[in-house]
Amino acid sequence: MLLFRSEENIDRWCAETKMPRGVALGLDQLWQLSKLWYSDRLSPDFAGRTAAQVEAIFEKVGLTATFWRLS
Amino acid sequence: MDLGIRHFVYRHFVAEARPPTVDEIAREFNLARTEAEAAVERLHQHHLLFLEPGTTDIRIANPFSAIPTDYQVRVGPRAYWANCAWDMLGIPAALHTDAVIEAVYTDTREWTTITISSGELQPAAGVVHFPLPVRQWYDDLILT
Repeated sequence: MLLFRSEENIDRWCAETKMPRGVALGLDQLWQLSKLWYSDRLSPDFAGRTAAQVEAIFEKVGLTATFWRLS
Repeated sequence: MDLGIRHFVYRHFVAEARPPTVDEIAREFNLARTEAEAAVERLHQHHLLFLEPGTTDIRIANPFSAIPTDYQVRVGPRAYWANCAWDMLGIPAALHTDAVIEAVYTDTREWTTITISSGELQPAAGVVHFPLPVRQWYDDLILT
């Protein structure tokens, strides 16, 4: 995942580099997602997540589109 | 045993800003080198860390990167490399701490500073691009 100044610049960069154009998140939403995603990463018990757990985290920050689904 | 090694890798990353070598893992757990190599390969297969292709060198223990990137995260006296623009926020989230992030905009190659202070993201310009849908993330982790 790469940082850009704007969505328009993502469009241009993807066209120039022939990279796939996906979805852009603002930094505020990404910070909320990061806290849910990574808060337990240093726990000795962390052993990965199920697809349902992954989707539940995305849903908590409003990411419900097919792009964010594993099932 | 493998989850214990996974946790050791993370503790080592946090303390030293780099992953342990296989030899350091073997020493820590009193294993033969081949046993330590097999353990990190199993953790790689389970997506609990990621090895440099063709080696048993640990490259990624999300959100930490063993190699320099466009995203450096300063926490107190330590500086960590994040794998990507998501992981630059993932490091303070994982450490439950404030941080000062130096990051490069991919489109302009300009540096910017992003700050987490008192647990809050301070106003900063930018958007993060996720090129691939979630179900494809592990097809090509470097591109992702």
